[in-house]
Amino acid sequence: MEKNASLMSFYYRHEFLIRRLHSLLGLIPIGAYMMVHLTTNASILAGSEIFQKNVDTIHSLGPALPLVEWAFIFTPILFHGIIGVLICFGGKSNLSSYHYVNNYRYTAQRVTGIIAFLFLFYHIMHQHHYGEWLGPYFGMFDPHHATSSVGESFAFWWVKVIYLIGITASIYHLANGIWTAGITWGLWVTPKAQQRADLICFGLGIIFLGIGLAAFYAASTVDIQQVRAEEDAGHDAEVLLKEGEDERLDPTEVPAEEDSSSAEAEEASTEEPTSEAS
Amino acid sequence: MSESTDQSNGKSPGSSQPKDTNKEGIPPKSPHGQGDHGDVSNKVKEKPKSLYIRILRQDSPEDASYWERHTITYEPELNMTTVLQRVAAQAKTADGKDVTPVAYDVNCLEEICGSCTMLINGRVRQACSTLVDNLLQENAEEIVLEPMSKFPVIRDLFVDRSRMFHALKKIQGWINVDGYWDAGEGPKQSPAEQQDRYPLSQCMTCGCCLEACPQYTKIEVERGEGESDEAYEDRCREAYSKGFLGAAAISQVVLFNLHPTGKMRAGERLDALSSEGGLQVCGNAQNCVSVCPKSIPLTTSIGRAGRATTVHAIKRFFGF
Repeated sequence: MEKNASLMSFYYRHEFLIRRLHSLLGLIPIGAYMMVHLTTNASILAGSEIFQKNVDTIHSLGPALPLVEWAFIFTPILFHGIIGVLICFGGKSNLSSYHYVNNYRYTAQRVTGIIAFLFLFYHIMHQHHYGEWLGPYFGMFDPHHATSSVGESFAFWWVKVIYLIGITASIYHLANGIWTAGITWGLWVTPKAQQRADLICFGLGIIFLGIGLAAFYAASTVDIQQVRAEEDAGHDAEVLLKEGEDERLDPTEVPAEEDSSSAEAEEASTEEPTSEAS
Repeated sequence: MSESTDQSNGKSPGSSQPKDTNKEGIPPKSPHGQGDHGDVSNKVKEKPKSLYIRILRQDSPEDASYWERHTITYEPELNMTTVLQRVAAQAKTADGKDVTPVAYDVNCLEEICGSCTMLINGRVRQACSTLVDNLLQENAEEIVLEPMSKFPVIRDLFVDRSRMFHALKKIQGWINVDGYWDAGEGPKQSPAEQQDRYPLSQCMTCGCCLEACPQYTKIEVERGEGESDEAYEDRCREAYSKGFLGAAAISQVVLFNLHPTGKMRAGERLDALSSEGGLQVCGNAQNCVSVCPKSIPLTTSIGRAGRATTVHAIKRFFGF
């Protein structure tokens, strides 16, 4: 209890710095990452091979991947989320007395923030291998079967409902957050400037929502069995190709060579399924 | 503050108002300058014979609050201060029960002092500039009066807003003079600067912006038994210094930091803004600017102060 009190006292004494950091992290890296993430996921629409290629690029970081995840994704989200919860407790919504649009937005920003925080926890446990211990419906993303594993993870109606709510809430939170951050940092100051910024943020929000819904649609409409077959075929081709390469190459060669070989393998994998399908 | 208590208690029931509250007791309507108000009253289709006023009362800071219903005869073009005068003078509930006069804070009667600020039909505003005919369009049944919810109640509708003055002290809401001799003319101000500052100077510290702010929460320090005034005030000051300053004080920082002489203390004011309870607590609900009776561009001030405080903090951190 005493420790809590001193922790809260630390928070209040340094609230200015913490709140500025909270605002900044919401935009970079969290907001920026979220849009890159949704765009990558929407690339399923361009074909499972392209999505698989994008996933492979990310996973080519290898052992550095967890480091990047923790430094640029998990830690900022935890900080932004925990401080966000504290912020929610610091205020008291008064919508029943003051029906101004911005007052609704104030409350919505807090509600969507909490939804987004809970959703992200579910989402990470649902897809990331960190969630595997929770059971069969968690930790479902398999980087080697990127598209089909996403499709499998979306096979239940309630998962779709959770994602639809989570994505929409996160995007509202980001678009409205850009607007409030602009006031916090003094980028748009006069009511007219704030109105113009509001239009821009609204437009951004619509674009973000388009990308988000595209990603959602892509994930919910995967033909799991066919994609799985394609992926396995591609995978086999990759293995075959690798074996071929191994024979030709000196095994002590630098890993850079290996990278180029796997890229070739991907090219092969993009061709393979089409020929098989036809 | 105690002066105001005496004023509201002394003024309302006895001296200024005669015992009878019938139409004869009312001063004749002034024939001029009533155009706007006349229009408003014409909009009310059916004028009621009497007004019902529900008031949230509280006998002392320690006591629990309770509702009481009063009724007075309707007249056209009443403002809420007049209604309160009638209610206090009559000191009788709608059921005919004799009660103590309702206490309220009042001073200028023309919306420049801010002291009669209260919740009227759930919305914060000044009693003096709130017209009954407008209220009847909101709710024809009754008028609901409550004390401001963000400040400690002293009695009935009269609250202790000293936290606002603590905030002004914290941000040094003044221009320093360095002596009592004539220092000659001050630096010149451009008309543009003047235009910039004038709206901000209209703040009357009424507290509407704070009442409507979801981030501004009530701080009430309970008085200990046998605690001296000084000890109690010290505790209040300490509690207030940790609470949110609110839009009014933030805007005053902008006002005084724009002043050619006030600028000399700009850094100290910005330090106060980034300290505990400073402008970072703002949640951008922007209710402040919507309810401000003086239409002060409070959110513009918040944005400007936000930028200035950040720049100041960075400069201070890197020592330039």
